[in-house]
Amino acid sequence: MIFTDILTNGLLAAIAGVGFGAISFPPKRAFRHIAILAATGYAIRFSLMNYLSWDIALASFCAALSIGVLSLWFGKLSHCPMTVLYIPALLPMIPGMYAYRTVFALVMFMQNLHTAEVAEIHLQTLLSNAIVTVSTVFLLAVGATIPIFVFPRRAYSMTRRKGW
Amino acid sequence: MNVNEELKEIAKFVADYATCLMGSGVHTSRVVRNSKRIGESLGVLIRITTLHKSLILTVCNAHNDDAYTEVVDIPELPISFAYNAELSSLSWKAYDRHLPLDVLREEYRQIRAKPKMSPHVVLLLVGLANASFCRLFGGDWNAVGIVFIATLAGFFVRQQMQRRGINHFIVFTTSAFVASMCASATLLFHTTAEIAIATSVLFLIPGVPLINGVIDIVEGYTLTGSSRLMHAFLLIICVAVGLSLPLLLFKNSLL
Repeated sequence: MIFTDILTNGLLAAIAGVGFGAISFPPKRAFRHIAILAATGYAIRFSLMNYLSWDIALASFCAALSIGVLSLWFGKLSHCPMTVLYIPALLPMIPGMYAYRTVFALVMFMQNLHTAEVAEIHLQTLLSNAIVTVSTVFLLAVGATIPIFVFPRRAYSMTRRKGW
Repeated sequence: MNVNEELKEIAKFVADYATCLMGSGVHTSRVVRNSKRIGESLGVLIRITTLHKSLILTVCNAHNDDAYTEVVDIPELPISFAYNAELSSLSWKAYDRHLPLDVLREEYRQIRAKPKMSPHVVLLLVGLANASFCRLFGGDWNAVGIVFIATLAGFFVRQQMQRRGINHFIVFTTSAFVASMCASATLLFHTTAEIAIATSVLFLIPGVPLINGVIDIVEGYTLTGSSRLMHAFLLIICVAVGLSLPLLLFKNSLL
């Protein structure tokens, strides 16, 4: 049961990664790597959050870090820069529900300005959801980028081929 | 004069190459590195200052003091990872095989001329992506179906408006409005309406400038990085505005 859960989530994330990637026109050879990265990353985050009950920001950071490390290897295989592979793979992990609740709370806060108690509750929701959204997105970006800084020479010669 | 003419030709090519990369969403340090690599393969030094809208570039002869400077505008191209990969690859090819300028120019032209993926295929893929996103967030199958249709509508509007060259902010607000309005149809059924409306606009999140902005800032290109982040934030605010109209209309059934 646990295994199928992880598998379906990974599969859905792979579809989402490929679809969101398609908006930015990646080279065709990159698609399967994007799918694998997106599935692995999401599966890691899903497991950390559901079975080890980590919080979303930390779990996202670890998942992004694994995507970054894997893309060091995949980039060399497909001769694509790392960012081409990992940016689409990170997109399925964007905390959409938190972002939505932030906007909804903002709307409700403005609608209830004159009833202080209600407005206060909405303000609280607004603040906590905004904090979760911003820190998760930031950690996603940083986590996947760390491998570039650790292995700069490898990361910068992904598109170089041997014996042209 | 011959020498200057040669420097000028190189400068024109590298300016074209670098602005194409900057415009199609490549982070700054890669653009600078690739351009310098091309310069090295042609036996000249290249120095670049990058801004968000324009780029200043000087090509110097390594042996005497000859130099040629060019200031070029960065065009607003659609984001293209294919250009990122192929043009980076071209710079390595030039470096390893010492390609002459006319061969380089021809290969560059071929990469630019390659046909892009059909917009209909992209539309379908984006619809499927957002639908599976809805499922990931725990939406039921009714919601997944409606999000699929809402995304098709929203992304179609975006494609059509972008083709006509309408202002980005208007494009994003309108498509967010269309997508979330379509997704509000879930309120008519007994289904996970909140999740459907939330996911229907997520295909508009400008992920590429967000992540490129962070990379640029961390690598010390603070100016281009913060302008990219600023642009991304403005687009996100546009999405929020487009989304908040249906929320205002239907807030009582969503609470």
